[in-house]
Parts: sequence; C-alpha cells; structure tokens
Amino acid sequence: MVFTWLHLAILVFLFVGVAFAGGPLAGSLLLAPKERGGDVGMPYECGMRPHGGAWTQFGVNYYVYALLFLAFDVDVLYLFPVAAFYPDADGFSAFLKIFVFLFVLALAIVYFWAKGVFTWPRKIS
Amino acid sequence: MSMTMGIVVLFVKMLAVLAVLLGMAAYMVLLERKLLGWFQLRPGPNRVGPFGLLQPIADGLKMLLKEDIIPRDAERLLFLIAPALLALTTLLAFAVVPFGPDLVIGGQVIPQVISDLNVGLLMIMALSSIGVYGVALGGWASNSKFSLLGAIRGAAMMISYELPLSLALVPVVMLSGSFSLTDIVNAQQGYPFILVQPLAFALFFVSAMAESKRVPFDMPEAENELMAGFHTEYSGMRFALFFVGEYVNMVLLGALTAVFFLGGWHGPFLPPIVWFLIKIMITPFFLIWTRASLPRLRYDQLMHLCWKVLTPLALLNIIVTGAFMAG
Repeated sequence: MVFTWLHLAILVFLFVGVAFAGGPLAGSLLLAPKERGGDVGMPYECGMRPHGGAWTQFGVNYYVYALLFLAFDVDVLYLFPVAAFYPDADGFSAFLKIFVFLFVLALAIVYFWAKGVFTWPRKIS
Repeated sequence: MSMTMGIVVLFVKMLAVLAVLLGMAAYMVLLERKLLGWFQLRPGPNRVGPFGLLQPIADGLKMLLKEDIIPRDAERLLFLIAPALLALTTLLAFAVVPFGPDLVIGGQVIPQVISDLNVGLLMIMALSSIGVYGVALGGWASNSKFSLLGAIRGAAMMISYELPLSLALVPVVMLSGSFSLTDIVNAQQGYPFILVQPLAFALFFVSAMAESKRVPFDMPEAENELMAGFHTEYSGMRFALFFVGEYVNMVLLGALTAVFFLGGWHGPFLPPIVWFLIKIMITPFFLIWTRASLPRLRYDQLMHLCWKVLTPLALLNIIVTGAFMAG
C-alpha cells in the first residue's frame, strides 16, 4: 500500500481530535476538586455496599451468535469488493455468482435457525 | 498547490470540521431537551440565556468543575482510555465525510473533505466496530455490576446490528461502484438512492438507530434498570467524553444517511453545504422523536430482529438489486 498525504491527513486529524478531547480533560484535572479516601471510590450500587466484585464468572448467553457473527462479518467483507466491481461486470454470470454466494450464506442462517441457535434462552450449549 | 499551502488548507479544514462538529454535538443536547420538552408539552430548558441557548456552555462548565472519580477497584488504564476510544472513533469517521463539492478558490481546487480515501466506506465500518470497544472495555473496567451488564448488552447489540448495517450498504456500493464517499454522492447526481433502495435505507436506518444506542435500543445504558449502564461509574469530564461521543455519533449517522441514501449535498436552490446540513439533521431528529415515543426493547429482541428479519431481508435486497442491474 502506498502511503500518501490522504492517509497522513487522517492521522493528523486523529491527533487534532486527541487534542480536542484531551484539552478539557486537562482543564478538569486543574479545576475539578479531588477527594480521596472514604467511600468515594466505591462502585455504585444504589447506595448499598457492593456485595462482591463484578469480575466473577458470568454466562454470556449469546456467545454462539458471536461465533456466527465472526464468520458472517468476514463473508460480508468479501462481498464488498465484488459489489464495487459489479457495475463493470458482464451482466448475468456475475449475478449468478453473487446469487450462489448469498444463497449459501442464507442457508447458514436457515441452518442455525432450525438448529435452535436463535432461541432465547438458548437451547444448545 | 504548494506544500505549505496544502498543509494550511488541511488544518483550516480540520479545525472547521471539528469546531462545527463539536458545536453541533453540544447544541444537539439542547435540541434534544427542547424537542423532548415540546413533545411532552413543556417548554424545555429556558433559563440560561435567551431560549436556553447558553445551556450547553453551562453544562460544559459544570462538567469541567466536577470531580473525575476513578472507582477503587477499576482497571485504571482501560477505564481511562475507554471514553476517549468511543469519542475518537466517531470523530475520526468524519475525516472521510464530504461536506460539499470541490471548491475553486483562486484557481485552486479544494475538496470539501479532509481526506477523500478510496476505501472511505470500509474505514467508517471499521471505526464503528472499534467504537464498541469503548463501551465494552469501559463497562468491564469499571468493576461495577451495572456497568458490566451494560457492556455485555453493548457487545451483544454490536454483533447483531453490524451485519444488516454493512449488508444494507452493499447495494449502495453496487450502484455507485466505489467505496469513496465523494464518488457515492456524485453517483446520486440525478436521484438519491433512497428512491431506488427504500429497503436498504430502512435496514440501514434501523441498524443505525441500534448503533446510536438510543431508545428503543438503549439497552446498554437503560437508565431505569442499569442506572447508566456502561458509564455508571464515569463522572466529570470523562463522562462528558462518552456523552459527546454519543451525540457526535448521532451527527455521524445523520451524515452517513445523507451521504449513502439522501443524495449528500445535491439539491435545488440552496447552496450544497446548506442542503447537506439539513440532511444531516434528519436522522438525529428522528432519533429524538423515537426517544419521546417508543418503549425500550430487550436485547434478545433486538438480536432476534437483526438475525431473523433484517439480515435475511438485506441478503434478499442484494439479490434483487443484482438481478435488476444484470437484467
């Protein structure tokens, strides 16, 4: 990949954005009051003393979705270059290829649907 | 154009975009409170300045003077950078949004976009994915149960709306044959894509609503059940960063809807930049409207909506578009 001034512009914009975000933070560091100790740093639980920390084991109910998402997102990424070239492609054969690709993709959704992935609370573990 | 001239123009454009953007984000807060007031037959904020116009400044000053609390048990580094991650990714996306056609000043052609990247659309998708880390990491690093639940919901939503969001943009790319946002707007010279792609527009709009994390899809923050969800533990300026990030994101979604479906800066009579600003405001207006009139969904309902309805519809839409273009 060739690094041009277009990419440099984005990087510079990033730094200017950091300055815009960091300026008020620095100002708040100078101006805002600072209390230490006591219960200021206690996690908020409606005024009660927290019962244990938050970092315990917890069931992420949707991890199968997450796996599916990963696979699908990569497939969609493949779809984008094809879509960009589509206006220049020769009509029907290009359509057929896209159709086959999307059909298989849609079959995956049907398969997982029938398998019970999209039910809540989840059926398969 | 000479080197120094180019750098000066670049910096002027950046400062203009950032100033307009942050100003818009600040006044979006006021607009939201005003509109919500009117929707509920009350005047809205009207004490600070005429018609409450100085309210954002008062809010900003207040945030500046509030203590920036870091919870005792938090993961400090992640806790500190999470809000910046969210705000920065949304700001950075504006680097590729074109605000108008090329200007010609004194024989120099100046594009009204900071960087007309040829993969602009992909960059915006990537940035929107990275932005979710701000929510997930901020919620997890706070070591508070409310925040953790908010973070889990935020991640759950992202893996659901991201697919229809990107699939809805595939027909746009097919019609314009380019990833550059400027080219996409130029392809809508004759008619905006919403006329030929109403379904893609609807899919994009619903997914964008979910991306904005606002009612009816505001499960990650859900005031009534999770206090403030992923930003429960944030205070002062760092909370303001999350807040600004959210409102800049609203403006960004408005700008993207305008660029991809509403024809960008094209329009009769008025100057292009005015048209673009008007079109930018359409999506935020609807987002505020939904906040005033819709209840909140559960996050599994959103996941099922996205996976069972929106994604299949989006696939179908691509096939139909492909058939029409081939035939």
